[in-house]
Amino acid sequence: MKKLHKGATFAVAMLGLGSLVAGCGTNTGSNQASAPAPTTTTSTSKTVNFSNASGTIVWAAPPITHTGLRNTLIAEFEKQYPKIKVVLQNQSNSTNTNSASLSTAIGGGSSTPDVYMGDVIWPAQFAHAQLALPLSTILPSSFWSRFTNGLVQGATYKGQIYAAPFFADSGFLYYRKDLLQKAHLPVPTTWAQLKQEAQQLQKQGLVKYGFVWQGASYEGLTCDFTEYLADAGGSVLNAQGQPTIDSSQALKALTFMRGLITSGVSPNSEDTFKESQSMAVFDQGNAAFLRNWTYAWANSQNPSDSQVVGKVGVTVLPSFNGGSGYSSVGGWNLYVNPHSKNVAADLAFINWMTGKQAQTTLAVKYSELPTNASVATDPATQNASPVFKLTSKMHFVSRPDQTPNYPQISQALYSNVNAALSGTVSPSKALQDAQQQMKQAVSTSGGL
Amino acid sequence: MDATVEQHRGAKRRSDLGRSDRRSGYLMLLPALLIIGAITIFPILYSMYMSLNHVTLTQNGYLMSFNAGANYNILLHSPVYWYSVEFTVMYAVVTVIVELVLGLLIALAINNVQRLKNISLVIMLVPWALITVISAQMWGYIYNGVYGVLNYLLQSMHIIQAPITWLGTSSSAIIAMMVADVWKTTPFVVIILLGGLQMIPEEYYEAAYMDGANRWQSFWKVTLPLLRGSIALAGLFRILQAFGVFDLPFVLTGGGPGNATQSLAILGYQILFQDLQFGRGSAIAVSTVILVLVVCLVFLSAFRSIVKGGDA
Repeated sequence: MKKLHKGATFAVAMLGLGSLVAGCGTNTGSNQASAPAPTTTTSTSKTVNFSNASGTIVWAAPPITHTGLRNTLIAEFEKQYPKIKVVLQNQSNSTNTNSASLSTAIGGGSSTPDVYMGDVIWPAQFAHAQLALPLSTILPSSFWSRFTNGLVQGATYKGQIYAAPFFADSGFLYYRKDLLQKAHLPVPTTWAQLKQEAQQLQKQGLVKYGFVWQGASYEGLTCDFTEYLADAGGSVLNAQGQPTIDSSQALKALTFMRGLITSGVSPNSEDTFKESQSMAVFDQGNAAFLRNWTYAWANSQNPSDSQVVGKVGVTVLPSFNGGSGYSSVGGWNLYVNPHSKNVAADLAFINWMTGKQAQTTLAVKYSELPTNASVATDPATQNASPVFKLTSKMHFVSRPDQTPNYPQISQALYSNVNAALSGTVSPSKALQDAQQQMKQAVSTSGGL
Repeated sequence: MDATVEQHRGAKRRSDLGRSDRRSGYLMLLPALLIIGAITIFPILYSMYMSLNHVTLTQNGYLMSFNAGANYNILLHSPVYWYSVEFTVMYAVVTVIVELVLGLLIALAINNVQRLKNISLVIMLVPWALITVISAQMWGYIYNGVYGVLNYLLQSMHIIQAPITWLGTSSSAIIAMMVADVWKTTPFVVIILLGGLQMIPEEYYEAAYMDGANRWQSFWKVTLPLLRGSIALAGLFRILQAFGVFDLPFVLTGGGPGNATQSLAILGYQILFQDLQFGRGSAIAVSTVILVLVVCLVFLSAFRSIVKGGDA
């Protein structure tokens, strides 16, 4: 942990089973200081009473697990609150496309969607552009005590809380326990061991590919790369908010990732894989190892999608020097549109969605990490997925998302890392380019 | 050709209508002009205005502060922007030339068959009628590096040994994208050129034949000169579309690998809607418009001189 710069990452550590503690770095980057402060027009308003809310609200959310989670939750909510009707607005699965469509609609003044499910990396940018209502001004401070420590801090920008944490997420290593058993191999704890075991399994003809992960040019690659980077001891930005990506640690991380492809452990098309592609390869039985998020467990155990039901094990990500590696912190929050015409119903919905019943459904039925502390520590929840039991052993690394310029920084990162993965440029040149583009992103002239 | 020239002159001649008649004519045009102004001129002018401002998004709309050419200055010094310009120009030039040549050949072929003309037209139209997002997704499956059809075919024909990641390296991704574009939009060129071909009177060919011209000569001396209007039209439409290409790379490659297939439209979208940098994004849009205008003018003048040379 000491290796990580405070301002660049907000490190998260798991204390109890499923209890997530995030220590948010004090980000005082010059870019942030120079950014105009959002005018908090609603800061004078009082807390809203939502116990008698009624009417129709629109909830925008991408298909979370592809298994009907959203409609299940809506149906349960409407049973509890018969006076409120929730209309589901389907969003893109790609977090980038999702944010673009929401910022267009809300930035253009649309009053719908009323509530939207957004990435944990959005609070700074969305707060800065006033695309989200500062919820701390209309909800009592007691509301926030239900969440696992640290999560609320991740949704905070300049002292205001802009979103309610909905579910948490993190990267895990999924492996084929049947194959490892057949070849008498242990579960790998270092990256080198993973690579070597994968090659052995491939050589014996037990499996087509060794290791699949997310290497396409998009936000997911930032998550994957950050894990190797933190493990190698590097960071994206330093405490002053300046880019530190052109470092020997970053070169070690990127060289290893590129080596996975050139050695044939990962398929050639790894640099076009998002979550769904990598999971498809794994679920078809064509890969020995998979890096993916929490929901991949439920997905790999669903007989209609997966041919490896019962053959899958899950553990923490490996590291370069042994012991557990770093996992990116992901997850989703619930935000309120500042133009929403029915804030009371929005709050009733958010209150219920982060309450015990919905969070238990999320965890038990859909194996998503709950954000509600009492649900997360409930033994019944912990038995729902083997993933939940790992969280106490994990090291967490956050993306440098406490600045409104985060999208440009991430773009500079993933597009150049992707270029290196594809072999178009060398890893060292890619990191130089990324450094250059990030410098522009954090300077007053902004991105591009 | 002389008839059209005369018509042109006639239009320029002073109208015999009286002043009041002319005024009521303009009044009748006014509603249409207002609508055109509201939906086309205003957004263009507004984005030009935005491109000269630093724009911040607030709850009550945009907050603009004039910053002269700062947005353009950033663009001019951005390698990412220049790469996008380079890629878009290269993409437009290659696809438009290939589509015009291919489209002309197919149009000539279809024009010369009698029996299957309609059915071949319908088949030609299928790619053009498909929504680009869907056809791009389809090409994505074809090119897929793990279970793609193209790799399967090439491997079963023993042309390649191991599967190739078509969309995973920059040069092959660019070519793959061009192939998908040519597949989709060549039919458009065919339709336009076929229309042009059918307007050429049969007598001209008969006359050329009487004068002893062979088929090759009558193509160069009769068909091509009379088709130049249609070719210019098809070319212009294609240039305009190629410079604005968005849906194909958005679905097929997402601009990757790296930013190898990041067209100006993709870059503008990212800067505008993901980074929420409205001033800079508008500057990209305006610069693209200027670029397209210049390219269209170059195309028309180059085209005119080439065809005139053929005429002589």
